[in-house]
Amino acid sequence: MKSELHFRGERFVFIKLLVFLFLSIIFLFADINLKYSNEIRTKFSYLIQPIYLLAALPSDIYKNISNYLTYQNNLILEKKELEKKILIQSGIIQKIPSLQEENKRLKKLLYSSRTLNSSKIQMAELIKVNLNPFHNKIIINEGAKKNIFIGQAVIDSLGVLGRVSEINSDFSIVTLITDPAYAILGINTRTNKRIVISGIGDNRKLIAKYIPFNEDILEGDIIITSGLDNIFPEGYMIGQISKIDRTENDDFLNVFVTPSSSLSSNREVMLLW
Amino acid sequence: MVNKVHFVVILILSISIIINLFPLPEIITPYKPPLLMLVLIYWSLAFPNQINLTYAFVFGIIMDILLMMPLGYNAFLYTITIYLIIIYYPQIRLHSYWNKMFSLLIILIPYFIMSTFTNNMLNIEYNLLEVLTSIIISVLIWPLLFSVLRFIRLKYTV
Repeated sequence: MKSELHFRGERFVFIKLLVFLFLSIIFLFADINLKYSNEIRTKFSYLIQPIYLLAALPSDIYKNISNYLTYQNNLILEKKELEKKILIQSGIIQKIPSLQEENKRLKKLLYSSRTLNSSKIQMAELIKVNLNPFHNKIIINEGAKKNIFIGQAVIDSLGVLGRVSEINSDFSIVTLITDPAYAILGINTRTNKRIVISGIGDNRKLIAKYIPFNEDILEGDIIITSGLDNIFPEGYMIGQISKIDRTENDDFLNVFVTPSSSLSSNREVMLLW
Repeated sequence: MVNKVHFVVILILSISIIINLFPLPEIITPYKPPLLMLVLIYWSLAFPNQINLTYAFVFGIIMDILLMMPLGYNAFLYTITIYLIIIYYPQIRLHSYWNKMFSLLIILIPYFIMSTFTNNMLNIEYNLLEVLTSIIISVLIWPLLFSVLRFIRLKYTV
């Protein structure tokens, strides 16, 4: 009797298995083609956000405790250092208006119409959650309420970080420039040549694509955004060329770029308009 | 009693989802074991009639939504693994404490193969060595997880 039950149960399990596998495969292919999982996530965002916040809680608590326990001496030292930094930087900034004037005049002389427009900046904070490490996505704590839009550029203090790929009411998801399905049009500051930078899924490496063998390119060249892709404003740092691999078998050079932004360790990011 | 089992299991699974999302240091993150699946494996070993494929599928979908994977990815893998558990649980249960680690490794091999297969099919970036290491780590943490979950099971369910 018991063995019969067991046997019947097993057959039922097999049918269930087939149904669920079929369903998940259909979901997978529908999602790959129609991208509806973003919509589902947006619909349930009020349920999802508390989970993310709960998961981020330990690191927040740790940060608060370590903030609380920092010695006063250290704080004073840090404050002095930061004040010095601010002084130096404001000294540099003083020159910007005159440089802008000069730039405008020179541009007029060259009949060039493109300008570096200073844009509005919105700060946002990271929600630290452990996603799939190969996914190159981060979650920030500003959403549709702050007029963030899809495709918006996100930077940190050192360079370009990525762009907003998904918006919910209170949080949004940023795809980093290290994502393999991602490319930016940059400019080599030394030669002023355009260069396509793409991610390879590695946090420490980007790749520069389609560079012919006779291109004038050196290790250490600095690459900035060109502004031609209509996503990133002109003039933000992307990275520095770290390695040029001249393998004769390939059609193009293999050029690797080290991203200048601290992709894995930052906490505050900036959104650009 | 059955309702109590479901309640405890759903609670433990929800907690392990949140633990799964905890931020870890950058060095450890790629080797993170699939914790939710290990917990699911334990519960389906303990209650194969109650904790069945429906659990695997539903929690897989929840995981996909939270981890921003393509919808159905984890559901697919969990369903296959829990199916193996439900088929072979009488044999696995007979194994000793340490032999269970080995049988877990064998149960996780299809998971590993299917995950690399789906990754290739869907063009998801992955590192073979890191996935393999995460499976070995999950086998290594199994005794600890087993004793913790066993303690919970004996205290709050049957």
